Order: sequence, then structure tokens, then C-alpha cells
Amino acid sequence: MTLPEIAAATRDAALAEVARRARADGSYAARAEASAASVEATAWAAIGFAFGGAPRASAERAACAALVQAQAADGRLSTSPLHPGAYAPTSLALLAWNRAAPYAAARGAALAFLVGHAGERFARTAESALEIDPQLTGWPWIDKTFSWCEPTALALLALEVERRGEESRAAEGRRLLLDRQLPSGGWNYGNTRVFGNELRPAPEASGLVLAALAGRLERSAVAASLDYLARQAPRLPTPLALGWTLLALAAWGERPPASDRWLAQALARADRYGGYETAELALLAVAASAPHGILKGLASRAVDGNPSPEDGAR
Amino acid sequence: MTDWVARARWNRRELLAAAAASAAGALVGCGSDRRPRVAIARADRYDVDLEPILRRALAEVGVGAREIAGRRILLKPNLVETSLGAGHINTHPQVVRAAAAALRSLGAASVVVGEGPGHRRDTLLVLEESGLADVLVQEKLRFVDLNRQPGFPVANAGGRSGLVRLTLPGLLAEIDWIVSLAKLKTHHWTGATLTMKNLFGLMPGSYYGWPKNVLHFAGLQESILDINASVRPQLAIVDGIVGMEGDGPILGTAKPAGVLVVGTNAPAVDATAARVMGIDPYALRYLAAADGWLGPVGAEAIRQVGETLASVVTPFQLVQGIPAHKALLDRDSGAGY
Repeated sequence: MTLPEIAAATRDAALAEVARRARADGSYAARAEASAASVEATAWAAIGFAFGGAPRASAERAACAALVQAQAADGRLSTSPLHPGAYAPTSLALLAWNRAAPYAAARGAALAFLVGHAGERFARTAESALEIDPQLTGWPWIDKTFSWCEPTALALLALEVERRGEESRAAEGRRLLLDRQLPSGGWNYGNTRVFGNELRPAPEASGLVLAALAGRLERSAVAASLDYLARQAPRLPTPLALGWTLLALAAWGERPPASDRWLAQALARADRYGGYETAELALLAVAASAPHGILKGLASRAVDGNPSPEDGAR
Repeated sequence: MTDWVARARWNRRELLAAAAASAAGALVGCGSDRRPRVAIARADRYDVDLEPILRRALAEVGVGAREIAGRRILLKPNLVETSLGAGHINTHPQVVRAAAAALRSLGAASVVVGEGPGHRRDTLLVLEESGLADVLVQEKLRFVDLNRQPGFPVANAGGRSGLVRLTLPGLLAEIDWIVSLAKLKTHHWTGATLTMKNLFGLMPGSYYGWPKNVLHFAGLQESILDINASVRPQLAIVDGIVGMEGDGPILGTAKPAGVLVVGTNAPAVDATAARVMGIDPYALRYLAAADGWLGPVGAEAIRQVGETLASVVTPFQLVQGIPAHKALLDRDSGAGY
């Protein structure tokens, strides 16, 4: 098989498994053995289906509609009704709705919520064991807690999809991410040095952050981090780390030639772990289908499922 | 009702009996000594058969087929993050293998391994890089990512942190016994991380964050107490074959201690493990607060069996510049704990 054929096969197989987890109301379960609806899984299903072409268009629309139903009155989407503060899925929903007109009201409400909420700040003292700037705000995982790298990166992606990437919240989010970049390269959850010792990067965090920063910075500002990801890519067997790593490198124009083989191998490994999360499968599909990164990939697609020639000709 | 809820009441009766025995100052005979037992087993390496060592230790603390048969068991190792050559960060896969084998040999209905790493969202990658994935496959052990499990609320039985309720992963509703399978490590915020701190990994990141920042905002020490008050592990095991000293729980250096510490009461196990590290357990704020409530910390209230403490104690290096360690160093009078 050629690399484009491998990529298409990975995308189709991953999305087929996602589709099997559909619920009657258009939402999706988080895992094959689960039955309850998951907001995160539903958002990722919609995002994945955006790259699935016409055969997945109807399912994409149904998932997007299910997200509208899951939205709270204040515009947020949360992991669970019992945990309204866990609102990171708000960013995912905006990626799923992908600036589509039918969801304009929902998008507006979600955007207003996102822009109006931020991670907690605290004053840095001379005795602080941390070397980050705690006055910079991005987005937290859970309301009323601190800003961390991955939810901030997800929010930045959402703002970019909505063409709000020039605004002050986005600019500060990027400053926060640069502040959290490890001196040796890469990102982890959101600390750099603690008690003077440099922490270690994680590929899933580094990839997500770099995907969010692409197109906004010169390569020189993140060179060590891109080099870190390029070294990690060949040895990553799992969807979350591999998917975000390859999407990041793709967004910076450095997608490794063997990417599609690695993605296919990761998909084939699902049984080793008892199957993948719906979100992980969708991420594999997106990484296999977005040779220029997730933002350019989404931008080139309409909600009605018609891919642009740009991606069809790979 | 699953044992990990019901057992809270049994533990209280045990505590009262232990306090009475301690107050009497008498070493009573085996039959009436109700103090929680903690076994120290010597184990110098990971590449030996650890199962019989663990089974003997379990027997020494009163855990055998009668207690285990038919139980659905969760093994909860400490998997934080991974780094090449730094196997001392996490509970060693061979200890997980041995624990699973021991419990299965005692008739457990099922053994599942579960963890919710606090720093890493790609749990599967942590499994691979730690070497645990290979053991899970070889031993046909199911793994559950606790970070992504739909949760269910329980009342906060501790009441120390201000959190009204705790959201536990759905798996716990299908489990009879929880085994906290920790690593013997220093910790730059809490002084040490042992079987009680290990239970942070039960709390799903979906509701608590990565890291579990909700618990940090609620108070680290208080959250440790509240989680342990609400979820009482039936078994606590510390992998101290090679622990971590210095700037734990991630960046410290490997410290061979050559022990497994095993017991049915987490504070008692933590106190004993701290003593192995040369740390006064009362200098660990969460342990001091747990004393007499969640379990005994004083040596006289714990029936320590197996190897003698004196034969295994090996002081762990602490860092003067880390406030939580300074508190331990300041407390060190050189006397026995």
C-alpha cells in the first residue's frame, strides 16, 4: 500500500470503530464497553468525522447537534452534570462545530463562556519553589484552579477555529505557554523547574501545545521543543502521544514521512490495551488525515462533509 | 456493600482495641493482640520470584485464603511519569506481578490493575514506558485508566479539606478490596509519599485535573486524609526494594532499601515505612493527623512482624532547601522512632 492508502485505511478503520459507539441521540460513548454518553467522546467523534468525507457527514451533524443539547445555559460544556467546573469539553465542542452556521448561537455562547473564564492567578514570592509566572492566565482543567498547558492549548485551538486568535486572551494564553516551555525543550502539564530541578517533557502535552502555537511564532522560539518531538515521534506507540506529536509536526511543516505507518501501527495495537477511547481513535483519524495540522485541516472542511481538494490529493 | 466502605467500621474497633492494649502497656498474647500488623519482608532485587515473599508477608499480617477468596480486587500501583533509566519513580512491574499472582493464588475472584497518573494524560504510554504494559499482557491482567472512568459521588468521610463530596471512579463500585501498592519515596511537598498519598491516583483527572489541582487547592495534607477516610484500602504494600531519596517523587535518586512493607492498615504501614526511611512518622503532617483516627502511627500501637526495623532501617537523603524535608530534618534527633 502507498502511504496515502495507509493513511486512508487508518482513518476509515478508526472512524468505523468510533461509529460503532454511536448512541441513538447522536452522542457517543467513551469506550466500546460503555453505554453512557460522553461529551468529550461526542466532540471528538464529530471532529474525526469532519475528516471522514461524505459518508460521515450525517453522523458529524448528529454529533454536533448532540453537543448543542449538552450545552449548559451559560455556554459551557462539561464532563459531567455533577461536575460543571470540568469545562474543558467547551473547547472541543468549538472544534467540532467548526464555525458552522447552524451552530452559531451555541458557538457564540461557548466562546463567550471560554473568553470569560480563566485559571486562577497567584502572587509569586521570593521563596517560591516554582519558576513559572503565576500571574499569567490561560485556562484550567477545572474551574477555580490553576492554568495548565493542555487546557490552555485546547482553548487556543478553539479560539483559532473561531478566528479569535488575535485577541488578548489568546495572546496571553500563548505567553503562558511560552513561559511553561522547558529550558531543554518540550512541555509537561505546566511546570518547568521545581526547587531548581528541571522537570521532564511529555510528548502528548508538547504536541498539543505546539499544535496550538503553530503559525503564531517563529520556529526559533520553539526549536528545542520541535526537535524534542521529532526525536520522540518514531518511538511513540500510543494514540494520544503519537497523534498530537504528528499533528504538531505537521502544523510546523515537519511531518515525518513515516507518520502514516506509525499511525497504522498504533491503531493495530488497540487490543493490547483492551481497546482505545473514542477520543483516541478520532485523534488517530485526524492525524492520518491532516498533513498540515488540525487547524488547517478543519479550515478546509465544511460541516456538510465535503473535503477540500487540498487534502484529497495527498 | 463493598468491603472498602464497610471496613471503615471494623478498623475503628481495631483502633480502640489497639489503644487499650497500648495504654495497658502489656504485650498480650497472639490471640488477644488486636494491634494492626505490619510485616517487613526482605527483598533485595526485582529479578527474583517475589510472589512467595509477598505471600509470606500477607500471611504474617493475617491475610490468607479466608480473607481473599472470592474477592474482586483492585491493585493500585504508583505510576506518576516515566523516564529512561528511572525505574525507581514507579511501583516496579515485578511487584505488581507478584501481588497479582499472590492474590490470585489465594483465590481472588478477579484482580484488576488501575491507576490515574497525575501528570500524564497518556496513561497507555506511561504503562509502556514503565514496563508495566508487558506484565499486564503476560499475566492477562486487565488495566483501567482511572482518570477517564465515569465517576460516582461519595460523602467526604474525612471532613478535613472542605470538599463536601469526593468523586470516585466507577470501577470502585465493582471492587471488594483496594490494594494501595505504593513506592517508598520522599516527596517535595508532603515529605514522603507512601500508601496513603498513593490514593490520589484513584481520583479521576476528568474531575480533578492533570495534575489533580482540585486537591491541591483543597489542601494536600487534608486531601490525603479525606481520601483515606472515605476509601479505606484493605491492603497497603510498599515497594521499597529500590525507593527514591532526595527530590522525590520524580527527580530523586534511586535508593535501595531492600524491603517490602505490608499491612492491612495504611497509616500503620506508612508509619513503618517512614521508620525504614529514617523518618519520624510524626513529622509527616498527614500521618500525625491520621494517628488514632485512621490508624496507629506509634510503634507501640503497631505489631511489627517479619524483619526487625533495626536490621533494615536505611536513612533516606533529604534536601535542606525543601521546606517539607527541612521539617523532617529538624525533627531528627537521632533517636529511634
